[in-house]
Amino acid sequence: MGIGLKVRRLTLLAGMAACAFSLSAAQAAEKHKIFLSMSYIGNDWQAEAANMVKAVAAHKSLVDKVDLQVQVAGPNAQRQIQQINAMVQSGAKAIVVYPISPTALNQVVKNACDKGVKVFAYDAEITEPCAYNVHIDQLEAGRVTAEWLAKKLNGKGNIIAITGVPGTSVDDQRTKAAKEVFAKYPDIKIVGEAVGMWSQAVARTELSKILATRNWDDINGLWMQVGCFTANSMQLEAGKKTSELLPCAGEGSNGGRIQMLPEGTEVEGAASPYAPLGAQRISYASPPYSGALALKLAVEAIEGKDVAKTTILPLPIVTSETIKLCDEGSWAEMKAGCNAFKPSLVSNPGWFASIFSDQTPEIGLAAALVGQPEE
Amino acid sequence: MSSAALSSPVSSGVGLRRALVRNRGALIAAAVLAILLFIVDWVSAGPLTYFDVSFLSSGGATSALAAIGQTIVILSGGFDLSAGAVISLVNVVLASSMDPMATGASILLWTAVGIGVGMAVGAFNGFFIAVLRMQPIVVTLSTMFILQGVTLLVMDKPGGFVSPDLGTFYLGDAITGWLPMPLVVIGIVLLAWFWLKGTRFGTALYAVGSDADSAAAVGINVVLVRFAVYVIAGGCYGLAGVFISAQTGSGDPLVGNPLLLSMFAAVVVGGTRLGGGQGGPVGTVFGAYILMIVVNILLVLNVSAYYSTIAEGTILVLAALAGSISHTSVLAVQLRAARARFAAWRAGILPSQLEHADRRLRIARPSPDQRSEMSPRPAFHLRNAETLRYALPAYVCLIIIVVVTQIWLGRTILNPGYWNSLLVLSSFLAVLALGQGTVILTGGLDLSVPWTIGISGIILAGMVNGSDAALVYALPTVLLIACAIGFANGFGIVYLGISPIVMTLATNGILQGCALLYSQGTPAGFSSPMLRWFMTARLGLVTPVVLLMIVFVVAAVLLLGRTPFGRRVYGIGNGLRAARLSGIGVERTLILVYMLSAVCAAIVGIMLTGFSGQASLGMGDDYLLPSIAVVVVGGALITGGRGHYLGMLGGVLLLTALQMLLAGTTLPYATRAILYGLVVLGAVMALRERRLQ
Repeated sequence: MGIGLKVRRLTLLAGMAACAFSLSAAQAAEKHKIFLSMSYIGNDWQAEAANMVKAVAAHKSLVDKVDLQVQVAGPNAQRQIQQINAMVQSGAKAIVVYPISPTALNQVVKNACDKGVKVFAYDAEITEPCAYNVHIDQLEAGRVTAEWLAKKLNGKGNIIAITGVPGTSVDDQRTKAAKEVFAKYPDIKIVGEAVGMWSQAVARTELSKILATRNWDDINGLWMQVGCFTANSMQLEAGKKTSELLPCAGEGSNGGRIQMLPEGTEVEGAASPYAPLGAQRISYASPPYSGALALKLAVEAIEGKDVAKTTILPLPIVTSETIKLCDEGSWAEMKAGCNAFKPSLVSNPGWFASIFSDQTPEIGLAAALVGQPEE
Repeated sequence: MSSAALSSPVSSGVGLRRALVRNRGALIAAAVLAILLFIVDWVSAGPLTYFDVSFLSSGGATSALAAIGQTIVILSGGFDLSAGAVISLVNVVLASSMDPMATGASILLWTAVGIGVGMAVGAFNGFFIAVLRMQPIVVTLSTMFILQGVTLLVMDKPGGFVSPDLGTFYLGDAITGWLPMPLVVIGIVLLAWFWLKGTRFGTALYAVGSDADSAAAVGINVVLVRFAVYVIAGGCYGLAGVFISAQTGSGDPLVGNPLLLSMFAAVVVGGTRLGGGQGGPVGTVFGAYILMIVVNILLVLNVSAYYSTIAEGTILVLAALAGSISHTSVLAVQLRAARARFAAWRAGILPSQLEHADRRLRIARPSPDQRSEMSPRPAFHLRNAETLRYALPAYVCLIIIVVVTQIWLGRTILNPGYWNSLLVLSSFLAVLALGQGTVILTGGLDLSVPWTIGISGIILAGMVNGSDAALVYALPTVLLIACAIGFANGFGIVYLGISPIVMTLATNGILQGCALLYSQGTPAGFSSPMLRWFMTARLGLVTPVVLLMIVFVVAAVLLLGRTPFGRRVYGIGNGLRAARLSGIGVERTLILVYMLSAVCAAIVGIMLTGFSGQASLGMGDDYLLPSIAVVVVGGALITGGRGHYLGMLGGVLLLTALQMLLAGTTLPYATRAILYGLVVLGAVMALRERRLQ
């Protein structure tokens, strides 16, 4: 019982299929068939990004044009390869993909491009030249945050660095850029470094381990890809006053943003540590709207418009000076400059708050939370 | 089917039947795959063309090749967690050493390099497992960490270059328009396996897997067979690494890691029994393709993203169930037993319907004072010699690690903060170790831990939403849900006869889907102040949870050591049949064991929610492999029957202290991973099995 039987079986099936009546693909001719291939959806960022893609596809400007199907590949690049191919086979006009690997998909993406399918990668990058990429400049993210921290510390002090997922390009670029900045300040020392996996929960365990043999008083600043919210909570638990919180360069979680509001600000639903603390922060993010924007660009590309191969999103930066609370979270309100949401609306402090883009008036807070587009 | 030719000179009809029975697992897997292919073809818009077949064959080839290696290890009674890491390593080695400028690359050379790297890793594994007689699971787990570090040293981010020649060769056609190359590669590996199986070595392999002691008794060189098994398996992973390099044309240090769990599923779906001695790689190949084609099925059926893991889990269970349809399957036996019980109940002759008379055998038992005269009670260290031998090494290593921490980082031994952090950070794994440990003691494995933790935390945070009063009903609700999860696991394993790995892996996927649906992707709510206080505040020098830990540890030791339940658990682990024949309610005990494991995971979910202040999706993902590792490092036998909770606790403390030491240094992550693996390997060196007599 070897390969022969299997091949015979396959050819038999193929033969049966050829005789079988095949459904016409013409019925969906009106709408563009677009697939979303997500990686692992078991974390907050991915789920939020998926909600926003669904919302933009459901917006009245696109709902008659787009037939969106969402599929999940899990963390396995091999499966995403197969999934993308199956999407091409089933007649996709465009594929919006969160690439599990920037390089592993190159062959299958090239194959898709050859068949006229537009492939859009969001947040992370696909290095195959025919793919469209929509993401922020990760080097800039690392550099800007590190420079902010160095300035806050006046070029002097001990810092702890919590990085992302080792072995990914995003983590590598952010961390390298930041370390290059710190290297310019001989008096800034990285005294502890841990892998934070872009998770508040992991950041807490890693910080706890580092602090088992250290004291908060020996540390002057924190550079974290994700985890400032947690770090601030831990300092309060250790008995620090809010005025003594260390400057923290880190992620754009809503919890972190609320903590940046001046202490004593009235915020509906706030409860410590998810409350205004006047924390000294710079908050940046890989914005979760990138998938939604990629979908919009994909529709434009299908319709024959000229779309740039690489769209570098503006790095969303919020500092203690520019923090502003939203009332409802509509797109119009965010356009006016608000960038943090009430805990009564967003009960999960780990939720990513960088959802505003000039280019996506279709989606606001409701889109990110439940996949509902703006009016 | 080649084995049919070897069978004794009986009539060909009987021979064929025997071959069918022997290869039932593989045949059913093939049938399931055919049905799935048919579904894909039937539902999708166009007919299945040669191109589709060619692409499907290359899509599943990496996992199929690696799973063949894993099957051989499992047939020999082993377990290999380093498979995914080997694939990543081979991928980055190839991608970083090929020259993009050179025209043409030697396919033979690079294939040999890949297989060579795999075999070298296999030899490393084989040395520790076969020669030093250490447990495969912990050796290969250490290897996995070491390799992940080495991989990152070779290439710290995706990139590199793999010659397109490799891709053209491995993904091309063997016979244009008729036979894709990946199938030929798999075919060659399978042919090699059939040749191997026919040799003395093949017979020895199955013999060692069935019963190593008996194999040694008839003169088989068990050490050599085991060593060779890991080398051969390493070669298979190496080939899989070459294949994925050809397929992706570049390197990615993380590419192989997620293949690990699905590899085990492929092996089991393909009809190979975990624990060894039964099955073969042919079924595994079908199993790997079944798991891969699920992707296409979900796509053509347009299963929404949140439901996809639920659908996958269900398909996994159905495939495993289909593989067990026979007169002798557990399900059939249970159904017959239920019918017999029902008949007995109608006839009124069930034991519980008879009058309660003590029918136990009366064995003359010396009274306690008599015994003390005849044979004095042996000293503590003699009575518990076995337990001490396996539990002590973890504590000895723990002391060494703490001393090293003191020397390297300072502020350790006399710093109460250090000890408090150690205990708080250990508390999660200490709770998990009871659940996972008890499951392992019965010879099973619980892979549903991650999302049992996740869903418990998410439901708790959502219900509590910052209110202490809500804990009163939220805690019992979450624990009840956990009981239901554990019951479902146990029920599937005991009454449907699904292997623990497949059942709990499927449950994990289903729970992930449920968690996503429940939270709509964004877990709401946060921990109440009291729960947060419990996990993070200080009462004098200690955090409140540390006090609970002390109670928990005492309770766990009593549960496993002093209760009938604990004795039944050890009984089942030492011999299922013997346990059944001595009147242990195996079914009920096993279901309770899985319920205990789920409840422990739920408690960890609650504790993590308190510790972090909120629940997040995927919060349990980092706890699966450590929960298994601590049990084994603590001296338990992965095949069941041996182990003490205090040993596992030592394993928990050791691994946590080690992580704290490494986190305190500023070593790069790759170096830390390598050190972690080496220390774990060194720590279990003391747990070597005694030489076979």
